[in-house]
Amino acid sequence: MAGKIFGQPVSRLEDKHLLTGRAKFIDDIEIPGMLYAAFLRSDYAHAIIKSIDVSAAREHPGVVAVYTAEDFGDYWRVGPLQVPPPTAIKGSQFSARPLPPIAKGKVRFSGEPIALVIAESRYIAEDACEDIIFDAEPLPAVIDLEKAWEDTSVLVHDDLPSNMAALVKQESGDYEAAKKQADVVISKRLVPDHVIGGAMENRGLVVNWDEGRQELVVWATTQAPLPLRSAIAGRMGLAENQVRVITPYIGGGFGPKVMTSQADDVLLPWVSMQLNRPIKWIEDRRENFLATTSERDQVHHAEMALKKDGTILGLKDVFYHNTGAYDPYGMTVPLNTQTHTVSNYRVPNFYTEIRMVFTNEMVVTPVRGAGRSEGVFVMERMMDAAAKELNMDPVEIRLKNLLVEKEFPLNTGIIGQDFVVGVLDSGDYKNNLEKCIEAIEYDKFRKEIQPKARKEGKHLGIGVVTFTEGTAVGPYEGARITVGNNGLVSVSTGYSTQGQGHFTVFAQIVAEQLNVKLDRVKVITGDTLHFHWGAGTFASRGATIVGSAVHSAAVMVRDKALSTASKFLEVPEEELELFDGTVRVKAHPEESITLGELAGRANPMRGAVEADVKPGLEATAYYAPPHASTGSGACAMILDVDPETCKAKIERFVLVHDCGTVINPLLLEGQIQGGVSMGIGNAFYEKVVYDENGQLLTASFMDYLMPQATDMPKKMEIGHNVHPSPLNELGIKGVGEAGALPPPPAFCQAVEDALYEYKLDITESNLNPSMIYDYIKKAK
Amino acid sequence: MIIEGEHVFNGPREAVYEMFNDPNALATAVPGMQKLEKIDESHYEGAIHLRIGPISAVFAGVLGLTDENPPESCTLNVEGKGVAGFAKGVGKVNFTDLGDNKTLLKYSGDVNIGGTLASVGQRMIDSVAKSMIKSGLEKLDKTLEERWQQK
Amino acid sequence: MTKLFPVKVTVNGKVYERQVESRLLLSDFLRHDLGLMGTHVGCEHGMCGACTVIFDGEPVRSCLIFAVQANGHEIKTVESLGTPEHMHPLQEAFHEKHGLQCGFCTPGVLMTVVPFLEQNPNPTEDEIREAIDGNICRCTGYEKIVESVQEAAKKMSSGD
Repeated sequence: MAGKIFGQPVSRLEDKHLLTGRAKFIDDIEIPGMLYAAFLRSDYAHAIIKSIDVSAAREHPGVVAVYTAEDFGDYWRVGPLQVPPPTAIKGSQFSARPLPPIAKGKVRFSGEPIALVIAESRYIAEDACEDIIFDAEPLPAVIDLEKAWEDTSVLVHDDLPSNMAALVKQESGDYEAAKKQADVVISKRLVPDHVIGGAMENRGLVVNWDEGRQELVVWATTQAPLPLRSAIAGRMGLAENQVRVITPYIGGGFGPKVMTSQADDVLLPWVSMQLNRPIKWIEDRRENFLATTSERDQVHHAEMALKKDGTILGLKDVFYHNTGAYDPYGMTVPLNTQTHTVSNYRVPNFYTEIRMVFTNEMVVTPVRGAGRSEGVFVMERMMDAAAKELNMDPVEIRLKNLLVEKEFPLNTGIIGQDFVVGVLDSGDYKNNLEKCIEAIEYDKFRKEIQPKARKEGKHLGIGVVTFTEGTAVGPYEGARITVGNNGLVSVSTGYSTQGQGHFTVFAQIVAEQLNVKLDRVKVITGDTLHFHWGAGTFASRGATIVGSAVHSAAVMVRDKALSTASKFLEVPEEELELFDGTVRVKAHPEESITLGELAGRANPMRGAVEADVKPGLEATAYYAPPHASTGSGACAMILDVDPETCKAKIERFVLVHDCGTVINPLLLEGQIQGGVSMGIGNAFYEKVVYDENGQLLTASFMDYLMPQATDMPKKMEIGHNVHPSPLNELGIKGVGEAGALPPPPAFCQAVEDALYEYKLDITESNLNPSMIYDYIKKAK
Repeated sequence: MIIEGEHVFNGPREAVYEMFNDPNALATAVPGMQKLEKIDESHYEGAIHLRIGPISAVFAGVLGLTDENPPESCTLNVEGKGVAGFAKGVGKVNFTDLGDNKTLLKYSGDVNIGGTLASVGQRMIDSVAKSMIKSGLEKLDKTLEERWQQK
Repeated sequence: MTKLFPVKVTVNGKVYERQVESRLLLSDFLRHDLGLMGTHVGCEHGMCGACTVIFDGEPVRSCLIFAVQANGHEIKTVESLGTPEHMHPLQEAFHEKHGLQCGFCTPGVLMTVVPFLEQNPNPTEDEIREAIDGNICRCTGYEKIVESVQEAAKKMSSGD
């Protein structure tokens, strides 16, 4: 479906300003009279606040104000939730405990803000934090998920009877009946483990209350500018058109920047209004580790029932999910886990149960993958366990059970994060795997390369897994396209950008429809003044949902251009065509009118026009999907593992992916490669570690190891399968999170295969050399 | 974090036990200790300047002695707080007379740390604790020798 | 009244004289005192490389240096490389090969690569990966950064 610009690997329009250091990020924003904020955060993970003495801090030279919860009076409120509870799922239980803006009465995680200092410089504000005397009575910390579910002796929320945050059960078919028919039942306890988003840019907020104009302008590193605007306007008692949220260039999102109720979001607008000064807050890296959200901390008890030929009869998965000290983001993450456990395979009977637990750790919200990774990890490890039990090749057992094209659309019977029952719309999962094993030369590896390596004492192993990625969930997004009098085309959407290339990709769609040069299209994202409806950047929605809205609007503008030109050129529409910024007569191309001129004619500044005038060459369109569209893929990696140092090197890496129609193949590769690097970090190196007292032991890059250039395979061999989605006109499926999903289970499989003589049984992700060493020791 | 170890002192048990109860002796023995003052019979107030990896900060706190069983054993409780975090520890010390004016010290304790100290320094704490104990015991050796010589 | 110290430093060929606190970080000095916002701060503990600038010809972490330490020295930041209208061949190469996504780590990568290519104008892929190992990128997975550097090496050695 590639056109002149659509589907082409064009370079990005936004690069020039980013490459030359001209692009404005949050900390680059300077407003005269600006004050700086710093938070004092609790060291204790769980404690009763006895007193917070800020008197010395208030006297600190250069300090303008210091606030604790009491100082905010009635403004201090908890809630509402950012994502509604799962009432769509029958029988679900959910205890809503939204994030308090600043601790009151009790602290529930190490890093929770307890005081806010406003000063003339960031240095002074941080100095003054040290003057604050915080007296608290420490309590034992709730950390272990399974224990927290049962043990009511220590409660994170004293007004609840236990630490249960939610209980959600879903079933399709009848697992217990299926189990009775099974030849083999595999049971495993699996632990997909904890990671951070780790964007290179930390969070930040600049707020400016303009008393004279009664307007609040907020610059925010947010993935959700419109929800943030609504939240701020609501909390401050302002009309929505009094609040403008602008996203500057954002240095990576990856999930955690979707929150709209962090301390800064809630408190700084109020402070700005109180002090009548602009306020800037820039998070530092340690704060990001402690209090900006993280994800993937689950314990699964999974059970699979199979026939001895490897056919899956059913899967049961009861899992504990850590939501942290509060649950402002509802059940998005664990619901994604539920919908992505069996979604690749033909599993007629599936029972899944979420036991969501409060702990004295930071709040859990999506991090690239957003719960899908855990589902994929569990299922792929179970497939490997089944393969071992049945003496089948791990690829063979997967080929047997993977869904194929003719089975779609397939109703999964499981409700997802968008509160509708999932329907797998398109793809050929079996073919993804076939292409993948062909690309990595699986047979050759098994028959020649690996035996040869083993003879030489080398430990080469291969891991092959498959996955799906539910993307582009509702509710909707929108876009407005306006052709200016000079022919430049303005495109606005409420969606926000953190490096995905939206300024180019959406422009490509418009440029294709209107037949203009790419750089004649200027895209603005994430400025609530320019477009004021939308939900935000998450779940890989951009290309699909915004893309579809942009496409619809572009088609409408195109149609209007043709009909307006038809009137002025006095030629029927069928005889006209768009070409390089003009509309011209096909048979006589010298008879033409520029889009700019047409725009002017569609918006006369004098004279009488029709009563139902719709001025200009402009259109606004929205796209709302009926449910998620599901991308899919298969991944293989060959590892060289040293059994003594337990270091693992990725020798080869293959990913075959199906995201439907591709708008820009160059940017698509970038998205997949970036996702893969996070997946590799998730598999080996990265790990969020809390000790039993709720102290975060990995709060810097010295302890939390981010993957570096030399940790990556030399080349990520990426292949494509294209099954356009029937859900939208362009046939697009999302891809933003895909790369992050398969590496952890592939890595585990490859390590087990490499260290074959030890017959390892790896039941967790986030490995490192010490852990592999321990597994080897245990096996000996 | 568990801290355990042994050390042989050149001195009789009574002298060693007395030294462990002398705030001046302890204060000079612990590296970075800024002050250690007696509040009452079994409590001392103090301040210590700790350097662990990138952290360099003062921790103020209280040292308490419980289960005193001279000259055999006692339990030390330490609680310190500062801008860079907090530490709370309990340690049992045991003195055995080895004869020949030699005393065996056995110590075993559990220390919990929190705040910035834990989140950016935890990987170094083990080795810093070990080196602090080592130099502390060396200092105490010297103090004991001086005192014993005087007698 | 906090004691201030004089700093005279050449940045991108221009001499700046300021009075600063002894504890002011070079990264903050460049960004907020001199208004050169291209250098980004990612971690403030010397691990991510986003704050890399060239100090007397060598790439350094500006978050681990005090402004006063720069007194009498010569610094180059990303602003010295090129403008949106006239990019440096290194920047052109990154643009062509899609070597950046969010762009936050990018100035640090560029300022690491500039002295690297001066010393090693024809690097192997392994040498490039080694050279940028101290620059963490969360968006790209590094592959297109490596390709960009390879392309830049080609451009720059052929005198483009």
